[in-house]
Amino acid sequence: MASRLIVEAPFEAENQLELSLRQAFESLQPNLRPPFSFSISIPNPDQYSQLNRAILHGILTEPHFAKTHIKHLHGIITDGYAMFINLLIKVVHQLYPKLLGSVKSQLLWVAEEMIYVLGIGIDVLLVSLLRQINGGDFSDGNLWLCLKMATLFLNKWQCLLEEEPNVLSCALYVFLRVLADHCRTNRPSDQNFETLRRLEVYLCVKIVREEFHLCLRIGRDFIRLLQDLIHVLEFRDIWKDLMLCPSKFNTSRFVNVSQLYRTRTCSKYVLLRINPEMETRLRFLMTYVKLGHQKRHQIWFFQKFLHEPDRETIIVDIVRFICCAHHPPNEIIQSDIVPRWAVIGWLLKSCRSSYVEKSVKFALFYDWLFFDESVDSVMNIEPAILLMVHSIQKYIDITHNLLEFLLYLVDNYDVRVENKVLIAKGVSSALQLLAKKGVIQSYDVLTYCPALSPTLKEGLGRLISGVKS
Amino acid sequence: MMTTTMTLLKDIVPSAQNNINTKFIVLEKGNATLEGQNKLCMALVADETAAVHVQLWGDECNAFEGGDIIQLTNGIFSYQRNHLVLRSGKRGKMEKVGEFTMAYVETPNMSEIHWIPDPMNTSKYIQHQVISVHSRMFPPIA
Repeated sequence: MASRLIVEAPFEAENQLELSLRQAFESLQPNLRPPFSFSISIPNPDQYSQLNRAILHGILTEPHFAKTHIKHLHGIITDGYAMFINLLIKVVHQLYPKLLGSVKSQLLWVAEEMIYVLGIGIDVLLVSLLRQINGGDFSDGNLWLCLKMATLFLNKWQCLLEEEPNVLSCALYVFLRVLADHCRTNRPSDQNFETLRRLEVYLCVKIVREEFHLCLRIGRDFIRLLQDLIHVLEFRDIWKDLMLCPSKFNTSRFVNVSQLYRTRTCSKYVLLRINPEMETRLRFLMTYVKLGHQKRHQIWFFQKFLHEPDRETIIVDIVRFICCAHHPPNEIIQSDIVPRWAVIGWLLKSCRSSYVEKSVKFALFYDWLFFDESVDSVMNIEPAILLMVHSIQKYIDITHNLLEFLLYLVDNYDVRVENKVLIAKGVSSALQLLAKKGVIQSYDVLTYCPALSPTLKEGLGRLISGVKS
Repeated sequence: MMTTTMTLLKDIVPSAQNNINTKFIVLEKGNATLEGQNKLCMALVADETAAVHVQLWGDECNAFEGGDIIQLTNGIFSYQRNHLVLRSGKRGKMEKVGEFTMAYVETPNMSEIHWIPDPMNTSKYIQHQVISVHSRMFPPIA
């Protein structure tokens, strides 16, 4: 009987992917030991597929024969490793959290081998591994994956820079975010954790200092992540140079920071911080569950992903995901399904520390600050306005708190004159577009709301009309 | 893959036979009790059409949690000490097939219906009246 890939659980249905790999391995086992017969005749598609599955299972479950299996693989490949890597991606996507420790080690090993041969789809494989690094998770398994991935990017630096530079932008996004956790924790520091943190800093600084064009690809969320690291010496220096000496980054295309502000971040970056399990559940909640009936689903989600105190920081990532990457079609928006603003309202109420709450509000309004109709989507800014408006009746403190925060950002986020003008203009155009598109009928419900302070209402009025304060 | 017809919870009828194949999500689980050597535990489960009380037995009690999606094969819906419950019984089985991704309703609750023998065919049951729209054992959460 062949070894398992995942931890067996009684009363759990067999996973079809694992089963198919195991069955292929069992049926071809005698052919998986040398001497291999690399016959002249090309295997038919079915045989080829079975052989790929069998060898993958062998690599993952037989570390002592892994080198033999990989030689065998190199000998039979006729498709540039496309099928093999596609199977690896499926394993990561569907099974990673359940995989046995030894299988995870093998998975990382074979991923590095696939970079070596530049297999087709290696970029997707590396991205799916990056998605398995959890925010706010200080478990040994998660820190191990951080270490393995950071090491892999440094080992394969030159090759990835030349062939898959996109993946390095993704790595930067993930490690900047992970560092925010790793540099803020008050857990007793041990040698291993310190080594990991230094390695992550080294990787990020290397990308930013040597290959700044990779940061430009990310756009404005690069700045959002960087500002959470401003208390770390290396990043404070980067921040200063960004603001004062943009020429230091040796990228002729980079003129000043407003250029990053004005670049909308592609949703693929935001998705990097949501693992596939979370993505499936969040999308399900906002596609199939009716408003008023979401309570249990919210409790289950909270228990699984947010219950432990450290994990709270992923609420920020979830809010970015909802604003930037989950855009439901009109049929859903007009139905009785849980709307995005309601989920964000629940998440905002779930914040335990004021630091996280502030970051969540910032994540919610971030696209407002630099909003430009020609590059930005109304869907990114819609949840914030609807949350403010729908909270007036029962949760006026949320409306008040959000509006106050927005006005504070307009006045204080970047006080240099040209950027302050940019931000006021961004927020005004956001408000105007929301009304023009009919997301909100009229701002009267806010500007005439007796429960809101006159100062807030005046501030909002100025922004709506686009008049400078 | 097994291809059995899946019954929706709204269509289950009390019977002495192990003939129910269905899929549902666990909403809540009560405390386990011991009956002789055996552990027993009641749970509220539901699908998109109805809810019902399930009786978990032995190791089943610890195997499933709220939010788990379970496939029941050859289950039985019958009276156990005055409670109308769905369970796997001796010949059926329950298997976890997923988590979270199932919508549900909490009413009607098939265990909170009073059933009487069908006057046309006394070996069958028909619905007589609703005892409670919701589970009395697991009241809806606010």
